[in-house]
Amino acid sequence: MSSNPASPPNGVSRRGFLSGSATLAVATPFVAHAAEQAAPGAAAKDPHAKVAVSFNINGKPYQLGLDARTSLLDALRDHAGLTGTKKGCDHGQCGACSVLVDGRRVLSCMSFAVMQEGAEITTIEGLASTDGALHPMQQAFVDHDAFQCGYCTPGQIMSAVGCVQEGHAENDDDIREYMSGNLCRCAAYPNIVAAIRQARDDMKEG
Amino acid sequence: MSDAAPRPNENMGEPFPRIDARLKVTGQAPYPADAPIANLAYGTFAVSSIARGKINAIDIEPAKAVPGVLAVFTHREMAGQLEHPKFGNAAASSIAPLDTTDILHDGQPLALVIAETFEASQEAAQAIRVDYAAEQPSATFDAQGTETVAAKEASEQFEEDVAAGDFEAAFAAAPVTIDQRYSTPTQHHNPIELFSTTAVWDGDGLTVHEPSQNVTGWKVELAHQLRMEPEKVRIVSRYIGGAFGSKGPMTSRTAIVAWAAKKVGRPVRCVVSREQSCMTQTYRAETRHHIRMGADRDGRITAFAHEGWEVTSRPDPYVVGGTSTTGRMYDYGSVLTKVSIVKADRNTPGYMRSPPETPYVYALENAMDEMAVALNMDPVEFRRVNDTQVEPIGKKPFSSRSLMTCYDQAAEAFGWKERNAAVGSMRDGDWLIGMGCATAIYPTNVAPCTVRLRLNADGGLRLQCGSHEIGTGVRTIAAQMASERLGIPMDKIEVEMGDSSLPPAPVSGGSVSTASVCSAVIKGCASIRGKLFSAVVSADGPLKGAEPATLDMKDGAITSSDGRSMPMKEAFVAMKTGVIEDYAEFAPDGATPEAVSKLYGGQSEMKGGEKGEKVKYAFGAEFVEVRINTRTREVRVPRIVGAFAAGRIMNTRTARSQLMGGMIWGISSALHEVTEIDPRAARYVNRDLQDYLVPVNADIRDLQVILVPEVDMDVNPAGVKGLGELGNVGTAAAIASAVYHATGKRIRDLPIRLETLLT
Repeated sequence: MSSNPASPPNGVSRRGFLSGSATLAVATPFVAHAAEQAAPGAAAKDPHAKVAVSFNINGKPYQLGLDARTSLLDALRDHAGLTGTKKGCDHGQCGACSVLVDGRRVLSCMSFAVMQEGAEITTIEGLASTDGALHPMQQAFVDHDAFQCGYCTPGQIMSAVGCVQEGHAENDDDIREYMSGNLCRCAAYPNIVAAIRQARDDMKEG
Repeated sequence: MSDAAPRPNENMGEPFPRIDARLKVTGQAPYPADAPIANLAYGTFAVSSIARGKINAIDIEPAKAVPGVLAVFTHREMAGQLEHPKFGNAAASSIAPLDTTDILHDGQPLALVIAETFEASQEAAQAIRVDYAAEQPSATFDAQGTETVAAKEASEQFEEDVAAGDFEAAFAAAPVTIDQRYSTPTQHHNPIELFSTTAVWDGDGLTVHEPSQNVTGWKVELAHQLRMEPEKVRIVSRYIGGAFGSKGPMTSRTAIVAWAAKKVGRPVRCVVSREQSCMTQTYRAETRHHIRMGADRDGRITAFAHEGWEVTSRPDPYVVGGTSTTGRMYDYGSVLTKVSIVKADRNTPGYMRSPPETPYVYALENAMDEMAVALNMDPVEFRRVNDTQVEPIGKKPFSSRSLMTCYDQAAEAFGWKERNAAVGSMRDGDWLIGMGCATAIYPTNVAPCTVRLRLNADGGLRLQCGSHEIGTGVRTIAAQMASERLGIPMDKIEVEMGDSSLPPAPVSGGSVSTASVCSAVIKGCASIRGKLFSAVVSADGPLKGAEPATLDMKDGAITSSDGRSMPMKEAFVAMKTGVIEDYAEFAPDGATPEAVSKLYGGQSEMKGGEKGEKVKYAFGAEFVEVRINTRTREVRVPRIVGAFAAGRIMNTRTARSQLMGGMIWGISSALHEVTEIDPRAARYVNRDLQDYLVPVNADIRDLQVILVPEVDMDVNPAGVKGLGELGNVGTAAAIASAVYHATGKRIRDLPIRLETLLT
């Protein structure tokens, strides 16, 4: 592939296709990190060269060759074929793309895939048991009708699992606060709180 | 039983969990942008950065130079290639971008880039350079160059400015009057699912995966724009990630992406950015209202005038015109209304959850509270004095109206009698407390609908209907209706929806889906029952000779009222068949003879509301508590109670969830939502979810939904009144009233933000 003169010199900036100036301030520190850690050499010379990255998704190893600008979200959806994780804004503002990376909740649209070398990534597809039994959080979302359209639901559930594991689900006020990064436009919020309350107790027993 | 699954009261169905719940919590529900497509190419639009003018030149060479770019299409390639969209039915706007050098609004698509990867298409779209001949745009109300037109002259969709009696004389004679102006802002639906089109050609046939509330209408409209036979076009939209009206009309993007896919010989997916969606989808236009109301000293309204103004685009006379509802709300002695539209350099607005009622009833109910204050009356009692079972315009009876029952039940649950009516009298430390209430109303509509049912001898049922699961629960509810009529368990029923190759259903808008789909299911089930019943009464067996009218289907058997029964499986033997298939067409009372064929042609002929011998509306009452911090003026809604009566409730779980979501939408419209417009550029400013505020989890606390029993078999065969759009009507007025009660400040312009309360 030929290089593109219109492209920024470091090649991995999202500046070329992000126009929201508010987002740039957030994205910039990650750019430097990505360039150092995951894409030395090749990507810095040719912004369009594919970069190799390996990580585990739901316990299975994946080796992908990606455009350095590919978000973890797009890597999951377009390259690993795991479309349960949803794109709602691509700007880290809605939470629909929440996954767990090494046990922590992460907005996968705000993370370049190449930053995740060696990471353990858990998505909604990896939550239920292999025998099909739902995770207590999934079951609680069913029991409490904690969704309507269901689009934000994978992100809500992954975020809720993280919320409980962080110890931020001990009371309803905490649940509301620590789940406020996950928007639900159908507005199932009271049901989401009730579901997390139930799953928190089930997860402790389990 | 959890709050999410209320115990069914009279005329209410079981709170059966959604039949697609497991798919939704495991990430397996296939939303349109999830469809796995081989050899996919990616599309990104470049859009206009001016709102009015012309393209002088467009330089696509830098875009074509980006590695991985397959094609760049502009008006140079596309002019004349597509038929223009037909505004007013399935198309969102008549504006045909990429056919012209004219620019009619900010964010108008100017080019479509197709590339091997999403990243390359984004980079290339940013590289396109446009030289404009820019003109000064008119952004909104009061801007120079807008054009104001009477809605009844401009739009076929707006039938009349309703009126009754001599308003001017009654208003002049009224001892107590108010004369006030109100406004509501621009809002965007902002469903969490991004808008997307995935176009896949197979020979001369086209399949489009796109979230849609109207797959049949889109099929016909897309075929029109692409100059194809509708039979060659299929729209697939099995799961929809929130719609709220935004996915009802098809935008110009769909045909452009489909055309481009054909041109490059590859399937193309275009997922539109949140920012671009604000400019290329529809939205709720800003409105203004002038209300004059006169009353006797005993609280009876003698005069009501409601004038409304709404913004629309230059070419399309979009209008919501909520005076048809506000003019019929109470027992006014006289009514005068007028709706006008104001044409500006904007994209065409469209319907958004309770399109007419959200803004117009907000104005009316805020005025009702002002009048109650002027009369020194309790606002609930003021509504009671003016409640009526006969609407004032055509003097027609309501098919049912449980408004005051809703008020009484909600007031009781809320503890309204604890309220001290004096302004500013209730306080908790640093927080001023206010309480307010308002009426919710939404017209009950029903439309033609078709369904195919396939029942096998084991009791397995496949139900096919081209309706749309936008989160309402319609898939579950359709199964519940079939389960009830055919006596088969829910887990034996498979429901297919969201595909234009299925029997057509109306647009999932206007709260018609449950009523229309269930009415069609009832008809199809009646046909299957009739076939089974006539077989078992004539064949040898336990039901031989029974009167078919005494038969029913329960628990997998055909039963007679005298206690005899026969397993359904044996009835199939009696019929010498393995499967019974039935296709049913439902058309509501008063529908034209061509109503169903129009449905196949993509048009939904809605009946109900103010049409017919009785007027049909669902009602509710909402009570809110607001708390306003005396230092920061932060406004909170710690408590909200709504009681609603909507005929038969098919499923108390999904009904409660829809009403709950609606009430939170109401809170949002009162306190959060506004699309800010730059008046110089006619441009939306807050085009993302960071700056377009919607409630988050921490904004919502105690919320109670009361389902009030009501029976109304006049509305449709299912006895169902839609409630998806009922819950968010009136809420903002209840909050404005509560803010007044807490502070003495009457806020007439939404949203109510802390800066509104600082001065």
